[in-house]
Amino acid sequence: MGSRIWAVWRKELRDALRDGRTIVAVFVVPFVLYPGLMLFMGWIESQNKKEESSLRVRVGIVGEAELPQAAERMRATPGVEVVPLTRVPDSMEQAGVDAVLTVPSAVRASIARGDSVKVELLYRDADHKSSAADGKMKPVLDDIRRALTVEWARSRGAAAEQPPAIVVEDRDVSSKAEMGRFMAALLIPYLLVFMVAAGSMHLAIDATTGEKERSTLETLLATSTPRSQLVLGKCLAVITAALTAGFIGIFGLWFNFNVLAAAMPALSSQSLQLSIRPDQALFIFVTVLPTAVFLGATLVAIGCFARSMREGQTYATYVYMASVFLGLGSFRQLGSPPIQRFAIPILNTALLQREILTDTVIPMHATVAIGTSAVMAAAMLVIATRLFSNESVLFRT
Amino acid sequence: MIEVLDLRKTFYDRKKGEVPAVRGISFTCQPGRVFGLLGRNGAGKTTTLRMLATILVPTSGTARIEGFDVNERPGEVRRRIGYLSGDTKLYDRLTGRELLQYFGALAGMPGPAVTARIHDLEGTFGLAEFLEKRVGKMSTGMKQRLSLARVVLHDPPVLIFDEPTSGLDVMGARDVLRIVQDLRSRGRTIIFSTHIMTEAERICDEIAIIERGSILAHGTVDALCSKNGGCSLEDLFVKTVEEVGVGV
Repeated sequence: MGSRIWAVWRKELRDALRDGRTIVAVFVVPFVLYPGLMLFMGWIESQNKKEESSLRVRVGIVGEAELPQAAERMRATPGVEVVPLTRVPDSMEQAGVDAVLTVPSAVRASIARGDSVKVELLYRDADHKSSAADGKMKPVLDDIRRALTVEWARSRGAAAEQPPAIVVEDRDVSSKAEMGRFMAALLIPYLLVFMVAAGSMHLAIDATTGEKERSTLETLLATSTPRSQLVLGKCLAVITAALTAGFIGIFGLWFNFNVLAAAMPALSSQSLQLSIRPDQALFIFVTVLPTAVFLGATLVAIGCFARSMREGQTYATYVYMASVFLGLGSFRQLGSPPIQRFAIPILNTALLQREILTDTVIPMHATVAIGTSAVMAAAMLVIATRLFSNESVLFRT
Repeated sequence: MIEVLDLRKTFYDRKKGEVPAVRGISFTCQPGRVFGLLGRNGAGKTTTLRMLATILVPTSGTARIEGFDVNERPGEVRRRIGYLSGDTKLYDRLTGRELLQYFGALAGMPGPAVTARIHDLEGTFGLAEFLEKRVGKMSTGMKQRLSLARVVLHDPPVLIFDEPTSGLDVMGARDVLRIVQDLRSRGRTIIFSTHIMTEAERICDEIAIIERGSILAHGTVDALCSKNGGCSLEDLFVKTVEEVGVGV
C-alpha cells in the first residue's frame, strides 16, 4: 500500500522539480523575492527617513511679535524656514507654507493673569511635506511650552533665570536581539502561512486538474492503485512542496537579514538578528504540519473539482488570498487572544507560532489549534478523496 | 475473458436532463480473440470501454473481467486489465523509463520485476532508442509505442483499446495493429474500438456495431457480411446504422 503512495509522491515531486514554475514558487520566490522585498522596503524606509531629515520646510508664524523666542527657536531648527504671516491663511498651498504656528495675541498678559493660552501648529497629515514639518516642529513646540511655563513662573515671582532642563522622552531600550525575537514572532507566523499556501498552489493544481487537461487522468484511474492512495500520494507531494517553501522562506529571511544585510553596509542598518532556537523551530514545524496538510488537501480537492488549469488556479488564488488575510489576523494581535481564535484554521497556526516564538505558549491554545487543524486536515483529505473518486466531478464538462 | 451483461450508462445534463449513453448492451470476449466495437463518434464505444476499465460506474447491468464484477471488485478488475485510449497522453516531464517504472509501481510490481519487464519490452516495442528521453521530446510514434508498453507492463490478461490508432500515421497505426495481433497470439482477451473499418476487418475476430448506445449487429466479420449478401464491412456498417433511421 505504502509503496504505491510513495510512488505517486516521488513521481509528482520529480515532475514538479522539472517544471520551472514550481521551482520559482517553492525555491526562488520564498528565498529571494519575499525576504529581498522586505529588505528592500526596509532600505527604502531608511532612505525616506534620511530624506525627511534633510527636507526643507516652510513654516508660517502668526503673532511672531508676541513670542519672539518661538520664531528664534524655529530659525535655529535645521531645515525650517520661517515665514512671518499676519493671519492664518485660507490655503497653506497658496500661502506657500507647509505648516503654520499661531501664537494668540497678548499671550504674555494672559499668562500673567493665569489664563490658559493655546499655541497651535496647523499642518496637514494628508501631505507628506506638511507631516514632515510637524515632525521638525515637535522640539520647537516643547521649547515653547517650557518658555511659556517659565514666563508664568516669573510672573508669579519665581526666580527662574536659569530654569533646569526638564526632559521627558520615550526611549526604546530593546536590544537588537530582543527586537530580532519580536520581529521573528511578528513576521515568521505570517510569512510561513502565505509561503506554505503559495508553495502548494501550483503543484496541487498541476497534479490534479493538470491530469485532466493533459489527458493522463484515465490512464491513472485504470491502474490498480486505489483512488485514496493516488490522492494521498498527490497530497503528500503538495505538502512536501508547501513545507519546503515555508522552510526556504524562513531560511531566506534569516539569510537576507543576518548574512546579506551584514555583508552589505548599505543594508546593514536595517538588519535584524532573527533568531529561532532549535526547540522553537521543531515546534513551529509540528504546528505548521497540520496546516500544510489542510491547505494541501484543500487545494487538491479544488484541483479535482476544477475543469481546467485556469479554473483551478482561479479557485486556488481565492484560497491563497484567504490564507494571507487569516495570517494577517495574527499580525496585529495584542496580548493573549481568546481561545475561539485558535479554532480558526490557518489563523490558529499563526497565533500559536507567535506564542512559540515569544515563549508564551498556553497548552490549551496549542491543543485547540493543533487539534482543530488536524481535524480540518483529515476532513479535507476525505473530501479530496471523495471528489477524486466521483466520476461526475472528474469528468464534468 | 470479458462478459458484458445488460450494461447501461446514463449521464445527467443540467440542460438536457438524463442522457442515455449506453442502453443495455451484452456481449462476451474470449481469450485469444480480438473483439471489435465499431461505431461512429458518440455511439457509446468509449463509455462502454470506460465502464469495463472501471473508470465509470455503470448505471445498471454489469460486466465481469476474468470473473470479477466491475461493480463489486473494481480493484481486482484493474489488476487484470491494460487500458489504452487514443486520447490519453503521457507525462511529458518524465523519461520513458521513469514513466514505465511509475506505472509498474502503481500496478504493485516490485522494483526488480519492473526493471526486468522493461528490459523484456525494450526489444518487443523497440524502446531502447528513446527510453532515456523525456516523453515531451518524443515523436508521436515513440509515444504510442511507449503507451503500448505501459499497457502490457504488468502483463494483464485483458486489454482494452479505445481507438488506439487515432492520430497516428500509417506506419504508427501498423505498429499498433501488429502489437495487438501479437498479444492475441499470446492468448490475451482484447477489446478494440474503432471507426476505421479496414482496421476492424484486419484484426477483429468478432465485431459488434454500436449506435446510440445499443448493439445493432454482432458476430464475426465474415458471417455478418455473408448474411448481407457479401458486402464489405463498411457497407454493412452504413446499412446497419441507416436501418435505425440515423443518417451517417
